Amino acid sequence: MSALSDFLDDVVADIDAVFLFAPSASLYQSFDDEQDVDVVVIAAENTVDAGTFVELPLEFNELSERVRFGVEGALDEAYVEEDADVICIADVFDDAPDAVVRINVAEFSKSGVYDLFVNSRAEPSVIRDVLEVAIELGKKGQKGKPVGALFVVGDAGKVMNKSRPLSYNPFEKSHVHVGDPIVNVMLKEFSRLDGAFVISDAGKIVSAYRYLEPSAEGVDIPKGLGARHMAAGAVTRDTNAVAIVLSESDGLVRAFKGGEIILEVDPEEY
Amino acid sequence: MQFDWPALIRRLFSQEAAFAASVAILVLGVLLAYLVWRYTHYFLRDAGVREAVEGTPFERTAQRFGTSTVGLVATLAAVSVYVGAIILALNVSQLLKDVSFWSQFVTFLPNLFVAVFAVIVGLIAGDKARLSVSERLRSVKLPQVELLPDFVKYSIIFLASLIALGQLGVATAALLILLAAYAFGLVFLCGLAFRHLLSAGAAGLYLVLTQPYSIGDEVRIDDQQGIVQEVDIFVTHIEGEGQEYIVPNSRVFSAGVVRIRS
Repeated sequence: MSALSDFLDDVVADIDAVFLFAPSASLYQSFDDEQDVDVVVIAAENTVDAGTFVELPLEFNELSERVRFGVEGALDEAYVEEDADVICIADVFDDAPDAVVRINVAEFSKSGVYDLFVNSRAEPSVIRDVLEVAIELGKKGQKGKPVGALFVVGDAGKVMNKSRPLSYNPFEKSHVHVGDPIVNVMLKEFSRLDGAFVISDAGKIVSAYRYLEPSAEGVDIPKGLGARHMAAGAVTRDTNAVAIVLSESDGLVRAFKGGEIILEVDPEEY
Repeated sequence: MQFDWPALIRRLFSQEAAFAASVAILVLGVLLAYLVWRYTHYFLRDAGVREAVEGTPFERTAQRFGTSTVGLVATLAAVSVYVGAIILALNVSQLLKDVSFWSQFVTFLPNLFVAVFAVIVGLIAGDKARLSVSERLRSVKLPQVELLPDFVKYSIIFLASLIALGQLGVATAALLILLAAYAFGLVFLCGLAFRHLLSAGAAGLYLVLTQPYSIGDEVRIDDQQGIVQEVDIFVTHIEGEGQEYIVPNSRVFSAGVVRIRS
């Protein structure tokens, strides 16, 4: 099988860095001892105490999504150069690493998905929790029926000033935060209400039932998406918030920042 | 042991009967010790002690000797009961001339048991506290902070050994003074260090409960004016033009808040 090993040698030749996706401690150790390549660990949790680490906020099923997130994270943290050649070692089918992928960082156009989580006003864990609620809501719907929902996360003061209540705010004088299991149930129950949820930087649910009134000028979202997406795009353009939308018609979860769609997730795949 | 049981038994029975009674006491002692052993086992297991002590160094040491914390405590209780029974039996049968020493020992036995028990509980609680503190501090990447868990652990062990020594009747006055100085220092330093945090927290409690202003309101605290972005127990985040003020809640109370309605 010399042809195969030659081919593999070609694949891994002249690389600048190795991305390890959720490696075991021994695998990380063996790579960390190598002197001539940088090692970046990309995982949900830094279990191996790696110095160069990119946190995965979601369990991306698609390898390409994971790689994209890892690349953007590593670029943002300046772990790799703009035109580095990188080998990704990841697990596609099983928990053990079974895939080796070679990429060139320069080929990736920046989608801002890492930026969405890390460089937003709201804390990354809050954005992740809201995304998880939206995904779960998209998967199960509200009592079996598909629902739509709009969560505006971060910069809550400004968002509140650019919106008005449609009715009494069920979260008034309450101190509930997203990520709490019971609160997630509450959010799902209240998702049948019209209007948007407003969530603060630290994850406090400020209000439900909000009618957003940002100026929608210059917001460009794909044709066919409805008023909810337009409102999400507009409010993120007008404020420093992030918006997470569950579409009622196609069931996809989309994340907006700066008026643009950054992330599109199909709840059925999680 | 206020009541002199052995004397009563000796008065009631003859020499042979007293001997038979002491044998009976021995047998009863074995039975009682076994029951104590079993019920301690059951009780500790139902109380979830086994899960609680799992992974602590004390439990690991105990397991290396082929036992466990639960087993150790149960055996200790059983042995105490059994030794008490043996001494009672010896007393009744008058096999030993010098009775007073042994009767004193019997009164001392519960103290000894409590002392050993206190040491075991202290060791385990110390390890547990160390573990939970270091777990809490794991995200803090600061070398000096590693000292804190050990500090907590040895404080607890110190307290436990103080209790144990007190039980045994050892003079602990000097150690108690040390403890008092230590506690005073801790309270004093903490009070000094946390007084701003405490006053901010107390004010924050009021703010969180009554919400005189909420997220989205425009307010002015002292000279800082802007839109409230976040209210938590210690601070209020106010965003002004291009700058975010993080105001301690105690200031909200000392200076008052102006809510701006326009």
